[in-house]
Amino acid sequence: MGKRLFVLGLDAAPPSLLFDRFIDRLPNFRRLLEASVYGRLRSCDPPITVPAWMVMFTGRTPGELGIYGFRNRVDGEYNEFKIPSSRDVGYLKVWELLARSGYKSVVVGVPPTYPPKPLNGWMISGFLTPSIKSRFTYPPSLRDEVLSLVDNYVFDVVFRREDREAVYRELIDMTINRLKVIDYLVDTKPWDLFIYMEIGVDRVQHAFWKYFDEEHPRYTSHDLFGDAILNYYRLMDEWLGRLLNRLNDDTALLVVSDHGAKYMKGAFAINDWLIEKGYLSLRGDVEPGTRISEADVDWRRTYVWGWGGYYSRVFLNLEGRERMGIIGREEYPDFLRDLAREITSIRGPNGEEWRNRVYVPGDLYSRVNGNPPDLMVYFDDLYWRAAGTLGYDNYYLPENDTGPDDSVHDYHGIYIFKAGGLRVKGLYRDLSIYDVFPMIADYYGVSLDGVGGLRGSSFLGELT
Amino acid sequence: MSTSKYTTVSIPRSLYNRIKRLVEETGFKSVSDYVTYVLREVVAMHEAEKYEEPFSEQDLEEIKKRLKALGYI
Repeated sequence: MGKRLFVLGLDAAPPSLLFDRFIDRLPNFRRLLEASVYGRLRSCDPPITVPAWMVMFTGRTPGELGIYGFRNRVDGEYNEFKIPSSRDVGYLKVWELLARSGYKSVVVGVPPTYPPKPLNGWMISGFLTPSIKSRFTYPPSLRDEVLSLVDNYVFDVVFRREDREAVYRELIDMTINRLKVIDYLVDTKPWDLFIYMEIGVDRVQHAFWKYFDEEHPRYTSHDLFGDAILNYYRLMDEWLGRLLNRLNDDTALLVVSDHGAKYMKGAFAINDWLIEKGYLSLRGDVEPGTRISEADVDWRRTYVWGWGGYYSRVFLNLEGRERMGIIGREEYPDFLRDLAREITSIRGPNGEEWRNRVYVPGDLYSRVNGNPPDLMVYFDDLYWRAAGTLGYDNYYLPENDTGPDDSVHDYHGIYIFKAGGLRVKGLYRDLSIYDVFPMIADYYGVSLDGVGGLRGSSFLGELT
Repeated sequence: MSTSKYTTVSIPRSLYNRIKRLVEETGFKSVSDYVTYVLREVVAMHEAEKYEEPFSEQDLEEIKKRLKALGYI
């Protein structure tokens, strides 16, 4: 019998919860850890879901992929953007690499895989799928199989709203339905590689973090929500127990997350800061919370503008690139350097020092495709989210600007690897998200000759 | 190099037998004729997909509405 590997992706699962805080109440994960080698998995920069999963499964940087988030700016436009699709991923995915050696894969939930491309196996696209009316599977007939199993296959839930009870119910329903589909695929398809990514982990953490973490600045004790995240992990734990019984001992298991998570301190209104510093000009006043795309920006007097998110994308209004660019090409390098320095030195609301990280994409990536920002900014080691909206009296916002959100991303996710014949077990060294692609290839003994320029490498040689 | 217009591909015998049974009730002369017809259709569909926009206007609205509700845009 050939080699088999099941990859379980838990979006945003951090080491602090899975290895530490919750582990005593997750018997199946606990048993899995005892039989595995595990540790922290350093995400890519930026450490966000899109592009991180595709970085993992191609071994390529966001710069090579030309994907910097779920919004990618349209050439020369200020706020128009494109949603990445499967067509935007121009590099070989791990399931395509394995297909060359005849291996069949099931791939569920990896973004961006919509619209699904033909593969040697079966695919259900991820949360950037428009709706269940879309052709979200490959082969197309798989869609009917899915919809005969569950009435409603949900790609994502809207977690940023105040009715958290409803959010929780929807999250649980979405996940239970997906697990039904996963169990069916595990049992009925002759797969060699199975990849299942669950977005619900990230969503439950964003919606409920402040109810369990006493360190959270807005920690709120709550009878019902205090265990919401734990209970979600328990749901995954119970299912993991059933999965481990379903898979024979020869099937290896790799559990991974694309980035970590931690409590959010607040949101920093980057565009209001840029206005105060004279980099951004508006015509007239705006209401607090106005989106920059809806504000009357005087682009002929604007040097810099920013997009919000778990990291901030900062753009310079460059002559010849932007429609109304005003920074000359010759001034650009000095302007960029000075701005980076100024942003790096931004302090917190009480004058406390922040650990800001400011990157130029060309310094992070060997190739920079697509429309990258000029600067990528993490405020205070990601503890402060970037607000893209503007018009506030104070650019330090205690809450997220676009609806309730209690957690931010962190640099380290997790990996857990269980396979026969492991000599090394237990907590092991940090790996990088770039190591996953070569590691999976190595597991199957598939050559990477001709797949040049990979950053990561397989660690399997250290384990046997 | 062969100059023949035709070449051979392998398919599982069980699939061949299924097609053979299917073809008996159609106007196709042989399994090869039927397979050629089906593959032309499928290949043309995938070739066309490469040039289509991945998202329709309605799809984009749907996704943007969701991303907005998620607070991502």
